[in-house]
Amino acid sequence: MNRRLLSLFIIIFLSVLAGNAFAQDAIKLEGEFKLGPAIILIFILVLFVMVGVMNRAKDTSTYWAAGRKISPVGAGMAIASNWMSAASFLGMAAIMYGSGYHGLSYVVGWTGGYVLLLILMAGQIRRYGKYTAADFIGDRYYSKGLRVAGASLAIFISFSYCVGQFAGIGLMFKWILGIDYTVAVLIGAAVVLTYTLISGMLGVTKNMQIQYVIIIVSFLIPLFILSYKFGYFWFLPQAGYGAVVSDIVNGIAPGKGITAMGHDFAILPSPEYAMPWDPATGQTAFQWVAMCFSLMIGTAGLPHVIQRFYVVPRARDARWSVVWGLFFICILYWSAPVYSAFGKILSSNPDVGKLAKDAIVVYTAQLGNVFPLVVGFLAAGAVSAAFSTVSGLLVAGASAFSHDLYFRVINPKATEHTQMLTARIGTIIMAAGVAVVALANLGLIAQLVAVAFSLAGCTIFPLFILGIWWSGSNRVGAWSGLIAGSTVALIALVYFIAGKFGTVLPAAEFITYYLNPWYFAVFGAPLAILFNIIGSKLSKEKTPLEIKKFLAEKVHNYDVE
Amino acid sequence: MTKTDQYEVNFFKPLSTHAKANKKLILILATIWAVSVFGFQFLLMFLNTPTPEASYTAFQSVWPQVVEDPAASLDQKQVFSRSLLSVLGKNIAVKEADKTILKDALSWTLMSMQPDSLQAVFHAESSASSVQAARVALNLETTGFDKLMADFLPLSLVPVESDGLDPEKKAMLPGLMKKYLVHNQNILTNFKFMGFPFHYWYTAQFLLILFVVLCLIYAMAIDRMNKEHEFVEKD
Repeated sequence: MNRRLLSLFIIIFLSVLAGNAFAQDAIKLEGEFKLGPAIILIFILVLFVMVGVMNRAKDTSTYWAAGRKISPVGAGMAIASNWMSAASFLGMAAIMYGSGYHGLSYVVGWTGGYVLLLILMAGQIRRYGKYTAADFIGDRYYSKGLRVAGASLAIFISFSYCVGQFAGIGLMFKWILGIDYTVAVLIGAAVVLTYTLISGMLGVTKNMQIQYVIIIVSFLIPLFILSYKFGYFWFLPQAGYGAVVSDIVNGIAPGKGITAMGHDFAILPSPEYAMPWDPATGQTAFQWVAMCFSLMIGTAGLPHVIQRFYVVPRARDARWSVVWGLFFICILYWSAPVYSAFGKILSSNPDVGKLAKDAIVVYTAQLGNVFPLVVGFLAAGAVSAAFSTVSGLLVAGASAFSHDLYFRVINPKATEHTQMLTARIGTIIMAAGVAVVALANLGLIAQLVAVAFSLAGCTIFPLFILGIWWSGSNRVGAWSGLIAGSTVALIALVYFIAGKFGTVLPAAEFITYYLNPWYFAVFGAPLAILFNIIGSKLSKEKTPLEIKKFLAEKVHNYDVE
Repeated sequence: MTKTDQYEVNFFKPLSTHAKANKKLILILATIWAVSVFGFQFLLMFLNTPTPEASYTAFQSVWPQVVEDPAASLDQKQVFSRSLLSVLGKNIAVKEADKTILKDALSWTLMSMQPDSLQAVFHAESSASSVQAARVALNLETTGFDKLMADFLPLSLVPVESDGLDPEKKAMLPGLMKKYLVHNQNILTNFKFMGFPFHYWYTAQFLLILFVVLCLIYAMAIDRMNKEHEFVEKD
């Protein structure tokens, strides 16, 4: 093992032990500066940057050399790390805590999409061989305009995805530093921007593997502790929490344990937590299905996910990295509901007050009297998860601007230095914009991220799925589908924002139910696909022969004589 | 077929044996995926039966006499109050606007159960006196679920401002109680598997396992298929 890396880990371990002297009182949920967690957070961030620095010299020699050294298992960990953001770490448990069974639509939606991605797109994308989603769209549909549209959408999707992450970062900084949410978001934004500007230049997969280990370990440790403390099957909390869910449904009388605030580990019968589309949650069966479907096809349409397949040397590696990636992702997704279940019971006493749902993961560990530094490690893990994703998204968004828009369209003669500068300026502007929107507190983290998924599902996914599997889909069809999908997205978002500002638009109730900003892809995606097909069929234009030939021979292995 | 036609890629009309095999594999896996995820949810919808908690049945047995009949008994008012508390005890699951209505109804009912000398404390904010009076009226024990209900009393009592319940709020009460005390249940929610309600295990655990297995099957099958058809994916 690299000696320098080993030295770093020893330093961190000793610091954590030293930080024990500064451990905060677990029962104060909010409002205090927590030195131990702050130390852990700083060290984790420094570790990521140091690992990036140590591996940079070897991997930047050739781009493909970096890819060839990474096994599908390692690439899978990188996918998982890239995927596991504040939405996975914090947001899912929050949705389940507040809306019960409805929250499972996010769990299923965010994992089931990988099956679609794998069987319909991963290998084919790799074989097509472009570098970004906008590159593919522009090339496959032989259109500079569509390239620009694709790049713009990639930026917008990254933007809305980041808003949810910034909200999560703000919450965790608020918890760690004991400050106001607004100030926390601004400080968090500044820190993540600095981190991105440094690590964005490094962008090595090795870093993501270490990030994954830290994220998953910090997430899992408290679950073992909570399960053990309250008498559940602690050996595998993901299996043992079934009894917790049943106990919530039937109620738990006092006598099973005491929380950190001195309350009984008890709850009155609460079937609404687990029963499907319970009236108490205000969520219906249609919304469950729509949410799940939107998230699944959104997964298969996210530009920064699609782009992962371009960096591996072979399509086979792309496929197997998805298999491993999904397995590693599922470890967290199997575990998140455990937090919401324990959180439901631990926060049931009215003296706990109203908790910010998005921080329920950390509150649950605190209320369960988990050792304060473990809670601090958990909070640091949440920040790490958000940082690693935000960093990737800001870089992807800035790259889309500097490469796909600025270099390819606006200024093809731009030097590499100018492109880099444009990318950095783009990163800063994007981060500032995201911070402003995050301050508006438009929804829960998972909901804000769902907007990005729905947008990707309505726009990028139809272009890819038809672009790969039907050579009859041409430029006219692509524009038709894109306009249809984007119109649905625009209507959904306009109605949502109008509602937030108290403006009632016509048929608002109908529109906000069926074209909710979290799941408008349920109608937007099929509509976009339909319009793409109709537009292609009605148009006299044909997909150029060289594109058809490439698609048939290179992507689909047609042996044409 | 002209040479140009041979370049036509259409998922539903594959032109090579490799593509045909690929299509078959994708359709099988996609069907399993769709039926497993959405088919199960549709099955749940089909089987669901609104099932009341014991508190709702108790509430229905005393409504609307308890608020309309001045001669309603103390026992009826006790049952009514306990059913309201069982909803308030669901804490974050209850919307704030609904809590207001429930608290008004609870506070009024508890006040009406008191002798004249003790009614005055219910016109003010919740206090130790009003909480104690409420505990006695409800005959709440210090163990079991009664203890939890007692924990909720201090935050559930609000000043009673009039002699009767607001008619608008009174009209909303049955709907509120139904909303929080009647749940969609069926054989799949009642059956336990590994400690979970089965439907919960299926959605939260089994589906994720299935997704990983489907991906694994696909990756292995494609490797085998590529080998059979001598398809070499170039670096």
